[in-house]
Amino acid sequence: MTQVARPAPRRLDAFELPSEPGNERLALARVAESVQGLGLPEARLEKLKTAVAEATMNAIEHGNGNRAEIPVEVEVTQNGDEIVVAISDQGGAAHPDGGTAEEPDLLQKLDGAQSPRGWGLFLIRNMVDAMDITTNGQRHTIWLTMRTGGTADGQHV
Amino acid sequence: MASMCEATTRVLPGAAVIELSGEVDGSAADVLTEAYQTAVGAHADLGTVVLDFSAVDYINSTGIALIVSVLARARAERRKVVACGLSPHYREIFDITRLSDFIELFPDLDHAVSQLTGPAA
Repeated sequence: MTQVARPAPRRLDAFELPSEPGNERLALARVAESVQGLGLPEARLEKLKTAVAEATMNAIEHGNGNRAEIPVEVEVTQNGDEIVVAISDQGGAAHPDGGTAEEPDLLQKLDGAQSPRGWGLFLIRNMVDAMDITTNGQRHTIWLTMRTGGTADGQHV
Repeated sequence: MASMCEATTRVLPGAAVIELSGEVDGSAADVLTEAYQTAVGAHADLGTVVLDFSAVDYINSTGIALIVSVLARARAERRKVVACGLSPHYREIFDITRLSDFIELFPDLDHAVSQLTGPAA
């Protein structure tokens, strides 16, 4: 039988974390667990983990200002051959993920013209197949999409 | 689950090796700065600093920033930085960030040391 219709999105996990530094490690471990068995190659799983950790760090620090009582919300969904991880905070439209961040330039950083920091969003963009940001009032969500099949530039031995 | 970054420093002829373990993240700032200081402190003419990541299980964007800072200082002091023991994932991150344009990468410490000191007689 040939299946043409795309199956409905399936929620794999949804959880909250207090906005405390270091909790990004909990997020990456739990997301990794939730996508087990979906056929995501090891190299792409590592990329997804890095993207989830960086996005969660941003949510904790920049979105929720390290206020533990404001949770970071994480939802993992499977949609066909795509894994989508949504990470939400209460940073609103003024969130530094809004796209105005300076593109990191290593030479400028080595010369002192740029801060050595500022790699988070750059890493996220380079780790996943798609990154989207939505804002709804104070709720700020970063959507990380990773295809389980992989793409040409994501293939690793 | 989290393991603090630790560093052990060894000085070889012409090079110092900083063996890192645990997590290279924001908590590693003092450890890395002190390890670098220890490595070069007694050897002002030291030409090369080897960062050994074999026992590192996690590097995040703040850790990348720390490595950038170490590299910036080493360059200002006319020292070379090389790295070894990175997993394929973190090697790719060194490529994406262009750190590997400035830090030569070796598979492991033996390769790095033999390259730096020449083949054993």
